[in-house]
Amino acid sequence: MKHFLIFIIKIVVVTFLLLVVLDIAYTKVYLQYTNRGKIGHVINSKDKQYDVVVLGSSRANNHFVTPMFEAQGLKAFNYGMSGGHLFEASLMLKLMLEHNYKIKNIILEADLNLSNEKESETVAARFMPYLHESTVIATHFEEQQGFNAKYYLPFYRYIVADSQIGFREMYQSALKMPTNALNNLGYYPLGKKPNANMKNNITNLKPLRNKYYEEIKHLCKANDINLIVLMTPMCENTKGLNYFDKVKKLYPEIYNYENAVIEDRYFSSCGHLNDAGARQFTKVIIQDFFN
Amino acid sequence: MFFNSLSFAIFLPIVFVLYWFVFHKNKTTQNTLLIIASYYFYSCWDWRFLFLLVFSTFLDYYTGIQIEKAKKESARKFWFWLSVGVNLGFLGVFKYYNFFASSFASLLNGWGIQSSPLLLEVVLPVGISFYTFHGLSYVIDIYLKRIKAERNFVDYSLFVSYFPLLVAGPIERATHLLPQVKVKRNFDFEKAKQGVYQFIWGLVKKVVIADTCATYANAIFDHHENMNSLSLILGAVYFAFQIYGDFSGYSDMALGMSKLFGIDLLRNFNYPYFSRDIAEFWRRWHISLSSWFRDYVYIPLGGSSGGMGMKVRNTFIIFLISGFWHGANWTFIAWGAINAVYFLPLLLLNRNRSNMGTVALPWEWQSVSVFFQMLLTFALSCLAWIFFRAPSIEAAVSYIVRLFTEGTFASQYLENERYNYEILLLVGVFVIVEWYSRTKVEPISGKQSWLKLAACLLAIIALGTYSDYKEFIYFQF
Repeated sequence: MKHFLIFIIKIVVVTFLLLVVLDIAYTKVYLQYTNRGKIGHVINSKDKQYDVVVLGSSRANNHFVTPMFEAQGLKAFNYGMSGGHLFEASLMLKLMLEHNYKIKNIILEADLNLSNEKESETVAARFMPYLHESTVIATHFEEQQGFNAKYYLPFYRYIVADSQIGFREMYQSALKMPTNALNNLGYYPLGKKPNANMKNNITNLKPLRNKYYEEIKHLCKANDINLIVLMTPMCENTKGLNYFDKVKKLYPEIYNYENAVIEDRYFSSCGHLNDAGARQFTKVIIQDFFN
Repeated sequence: MFFNSLSFAIFLPIVFVLYWFVFHKNKTTQNTLLIIASYYFYSCWDWRFLFLLVFSTFLDYYTGIQIEKAKKESARKFWFWLSVGVNLGFLGVFKYYNFFASSFASLLNGWGIQSSPLLLEVVLPVGISFYTFHGLSYVIDIYLKRIKAERNFVDYSLFVSYFPLLVAGPIERATHLLPQVKVKRNFDFEKAKQGVYQFIWGLVKKVVIADTCATYANAIFDHHENMNSLSLILGAVYFAFQIYGDFSGYSDMALGMSKLFGIDLLRNFNYPYFSRDIAEFWRRWHISLSSWFRDYVYIPLGGSSGGMGMKVRNTFIIFLISGFWHGANWTFIAWGAINAVYFLPLLLLNRNRSNMGTVALPWEWQSVSVFFQMLLTFALSCLAWIFFRAPSIEAAVSYIVRLFTEGTFASQYLENERYNYEILLLVGVFVIVEWYSRTKVEPISGKQSWLKLAACLLAIIALGTYSDYKEFIYFQF
């Protein structure tokens, strides 16, 4: 039995050493290569200056055509992240400020995402490689479930989020394989899908007095950034569209642009405009806020 | 509580320590602890079905004794059929009732008689197919006077409920397991070490091979109508490795952890994808089930003794039952039937036992033919797996038709944002490792075992799929 216990202890030690080595290696790779996503792009940059920064979920990422802002002479970038919540939008802004970004205007998409204060599993995972490198990230995640395990157990954060930051992503980062996340100044155009679902039911959603939205407002005020908060279009066949009225009632400062684009032909799916729709929508926004 | 879960990683060491340090005095204390641990393990799935397990155990224990004690043949038959009837009755109600009811209703509707079947909303008790077959083999063996009835209820309960094999086998035989639980087990370092190696290799098969292949196989099967021919071929191959890694990985973990308690379980897999024909494949795949059907269905039906016609009939019967055992769906029956059809030429040519030994590929021309035999057998099994994986016969047929007619053999970006070819290297490395270890139960032991162990641990940590968790496929059976 003594031999067996020594054998098991050796396995535990080897496993622990592997965890430490892998943690160091993965983190090093993620810190060196910046071209695969918006988070890495911010982490590895400094002193950027923007006239317009877009924040929010996919309904920001697919709706604000940043090259159209550039055409107006406004330096812009779309940092909207597909699947992201306001939790991640707030963290992105904090990171930008930590990295000394100078931003004049922020366009924040805040509509459906006001209904929850949770982290987005898929997007939040992408901050994890930098957990020990940025106090802003560590502090932001401090109260989230499982934080201690992710922070203190080597490599654990890569294991629990392996589909986002596991071997495949690390390998592609190490090979400097680019993604399209940073193309088109961060804007991701959607095509018209032949069998797209043009129905949605948001009757169960309830807007919250959202902690992270409040945080963004506070950060903008403290850093002298003009914050423009918008609700973006949904397809016509959406049940529970009075949600947007409830948001307006809760936060009167949020502009309701849900009706800015109506026809289904401008949508890729019920909650997402296609490229033509996004261009029409962006045109309206530029006209209303930047003329 | 899955074998690859955190809760099991806590459970197993606790049971191990209690077993060897607290309850090690004699076989009764050892068995008692293992039963308590097994019932706790089972109740973690669904404590309500624990009563079913205990009832089934008691039924077979009691009827076994009654069969042995009975003086008259009619009494022996009564107790025997009571046990078989109740066991199969449970299986029928929980697993097959809805299938039969809805199939019957469809048949009536087909004849123009409108009917809406009364379907039961019941959850399938985990492991029911496995522990029912344990009990059945025990009772049949007593009835056929192959073994004596077990008088010690604790020992018998452990035979049925032993947690490493409780939910997905291997399907043990009383002749193999009962003698082991009837003696005190002493700790054997070499056996325990080999158990750890086998457990770790099983974990590699599950989290690195099966779950990674599942990510790609699911993306291809779930959207097969948009896939090109290459993707569909790869989808079938990935599923073949998914199910192999999943089930043989589970079996390796079960066998490995059982060795930690000094108990050997029946080997369930013997490198089936290196088979040279389908008959050999079935001697190497889910061995405990295949041999169960051979001993308790095929041979009692007359086996091979009654001429070719009977051989063919019996072969079809066991393959169809085997398919149906896997699940109450026509897809499983079709899978069984296809395998029977594959088997038929070997049977007719009397070549079903021509490939018995371990395959080798020396530098000779004949090896080319052996290699292509293995490739053909693998291709045939992949084709059959499509029925096993597809949600319906129509979907399986549509998958196969598209595979042969679509005609594009190019890389394809899947719905889950991955290319169809991405894990071919991983699968290739796995095949090479398996090939070079095909004479052993796992590849870690032997020379440079620490290096191989570290490589396996590295693979589990770095290449395992964890966030997109997949249950063991055979738990649903």
